[in-house]
Amino acid sequence: MEELMRAEDLFFSYDEGETWSLEGLSLTIQRGKKYAFMGANGSGKSTFFLCCNGIHRPNRGTLYFDGKPVSYKSRDLLALRARVGVVFQDPDDQLFSASVYQEISFGALNLGMPEKAARREVERVIDKLEIAPFSHKPAHALSGGQKKQVAIADVLVMHPDMIILDEPCAALDPRHSRIVRGIIDQLTGEGVTVLMSTHDVDYAFSWADEIMLFHRGRLLRQGSPEEVFSDIQALETAGLGRPAALEVFQSLTQKGVLPKGLSVPRDLKALQRYLEDLPSGECPSSL
Amino acid sequence: MIVIDKICYSSGLRGINAGEKMAFSVMTLLFCVVSRNAAVALAVFFGNTVLTLWKGRTPWKQYARLLLIPAAFVLLSTAAILVNFSRVPLDAFAVPIGEYYITGSRRSLALCIRLILTALSAASSLYFLSLSTPVTDILQVLQRLRCPTLLVELMLLTYRFIFVLAETAADMTTAQQSRLGNRNFKTSVRSFGALGSMLFIRAVKRSARIYDAMESRCYDGKLRVLRESIPPKGAEIAGIVLWGLVLFGIFMGSVLLWKS
Repeated sequence: MEELMRAEDLFFSYDEGETWSLEGLSLTIQRGKKYAFMGANGSGKSTFFLCCNGIHRPNRGTLYFDGKPVSYKSRDLLALRARVGVVFQDPDDQLFSASVYQEISFGALNLGMPEKAARREVERVIDKLEIAPFSHKPAHALSGGQKKQVAIADVLVMHPDMIILDEPCAALDPRHSRIVRGIIDQLTGEGVTVLMSTHDVDYAFSWADEIMLFHRGRLLRQGSPEEVFSDIQALETAGLGRPAALEVFQSLTQKGVLPKGLSVPRDLKALQRYLEDLPSGECPSSL
Repeated sequence: MIVIDKICYSSGLRGINAGEKMAFSVMTLLFCVVSRNAAVALAVFFGNTVLTLWKGRTPWKQYARLLLIPAAFVLLSTAAILVNFSRVPLDAFAVPIGEYYITGSRRSLALCIRLILTALSAASSLYFLSLSTPVTDILQVLQRLRCPTLLVELMLLTYRFIFVLAETAADMTTAQQSRLGNRNFKTSVRSFGALGSMLFIRAVKRSARIYDAMESRCYDGKLRVLRESIPPKGAEIAGIVLWGLVLFGIFMGSVLLWKS
C-alpha cells in the first residue's frame, strides 16, 4: 500500500515546552485505509490531527505528506488543507454562518471553484448527506446530529484525499450515530483515507483497518484491531476495555463451545452467526 | 430577538426576493417619516399589517405583542407633549386641580395623534422586514449594495455567535441554579460575576477554535460564501411601485383636502 502521511518523532507543546502534548510521535498512514485513533483524553490525538493539516506546527520532528515534508509557507499550507479535511468535535466550533448553504459553500469557494461549479458541488453534498430537509433552517435551530452532518458536508465539498474526524459520534443519539457512520462508510468506499478518534472500542474493532493507540503524546501500539485488542498490557496502559465480541469469542473458544481456528469475529453479529452455525444439541451442558 | 428570528424563518414571505422586501420596507418607512402625514401613516400601517399577518402568516398575538413595545414608548413620550400644567385652561381638555389645570391644546392633540401614527407605522415597516427576512438574507442584500465587506462579515459572525453565546450562558445559569447559586442576593451577585468572566474566557477560547476550523478549510482572510438569492419577480416589483404611487396619491390628496 502507498504511504500518504508519515510522522517522524513529532514534538508539540501548547505552552512553550512546559508540557508536551506530542512527545516523540512516529507513525505512518497508508492511502485508502481506515484508522481508529484511540487513547485517553489528552493523549495527543486531537493535537496530532491539527498537525496533519498544518494548523499546529510541530516544535520538533518532521511530518511528511505524499512523501514530501510539509512546508509551512502559506500557499503550501492552503494546498495541504485542500487535501486534508478536518471535522471538528464540536460543530459549534466549526459552523460560522447561520445559513447552512453559505456554510457549506465556504470551503468550495476557498478552493477557487467558479460559482457555478461550487453551487453544483454544494447541492450534491446536501443531497448526498441528506441535509435538504433542514437546509433552510438557521444553524442555531439544528439539532446536534444535524449540525454534525453539516460539519461533515463542510469538508466533503472540498473533496479531500484524507478526512479526519475527531470523535464524530460524541454526544450523538444512536440514530444520528448510525447516519454519521453510514456517511463514513460511504467515504471509505470511495477510497478516501479516514482517520477517526473514538472511545468506542466495539465500533473501532468492527470498523477500523488499523488501530493507533496513543499514550502520553506517543504511539503506544499500532496494528490490526485483532492484534491491538489482544495486547492486554497495552490496553491496560491506555485505560481501554476490550470489545464485547472479542471477549465473548475468546471465552467461547476456551470453553470449547466454538472450534479453534475460527477467524476472530469483528462484531457481535458475526459471533452470533458462528453460534447459529453450531449443530444444535452439541452445546456442552456445563454452559 | 429570538422570537423574531423564529418567526422570520417560517414566514410565508420568506420565499420572496430579499431585495424586494427590503425596498418595500425602506420605501414605506420613508413615506411615513418624510410625509409626517396621518393618512399616509394609516395606509402604511394597514398595508404592512395585512402583508405580515395574511401573506406572512405571522401569529397576530405575537405581532400585537411586538407592536406594544414601541407603542409603550411612543405613548409615554407623546403624553409629555399633550399634558400641561397651567393656570389657564386650554381648548382640548382641562381638569381643574385647585388653582391649576391639567390641560392640553387641540393643536398638541393633533400633533400627538400624528406622531403616534407615524411612529407606529414606521415600526410596522421595520417589523415587516424583520418578520419576513432572515438576517443572512438581509446581509446578502447589503453586500450587493456594496456595504463594506468587513462590516458584512462581522455581522455574519456576530449573528451566528450571539446564539452560541446565549446557549452557553443559559447552560451555565442552569448549572449554577442547580447548585443553589441564586439562593440569596449575595450568592446571585457572585454567580453573575462568575458567569460573566467564564463567558468571556469561553468566548475567547471558542474564537481561537473557530479560527482553526476556518483555517482548516483554507480560510485566507476573506469570507467567501455563495449567495442563495431568490430571483425577483416582475409582478412583485410592479406591486411595490404601485403601492408607492398609491401612498403618494394619498399624501397629495390629503394635502389638497387640508388646503381646501
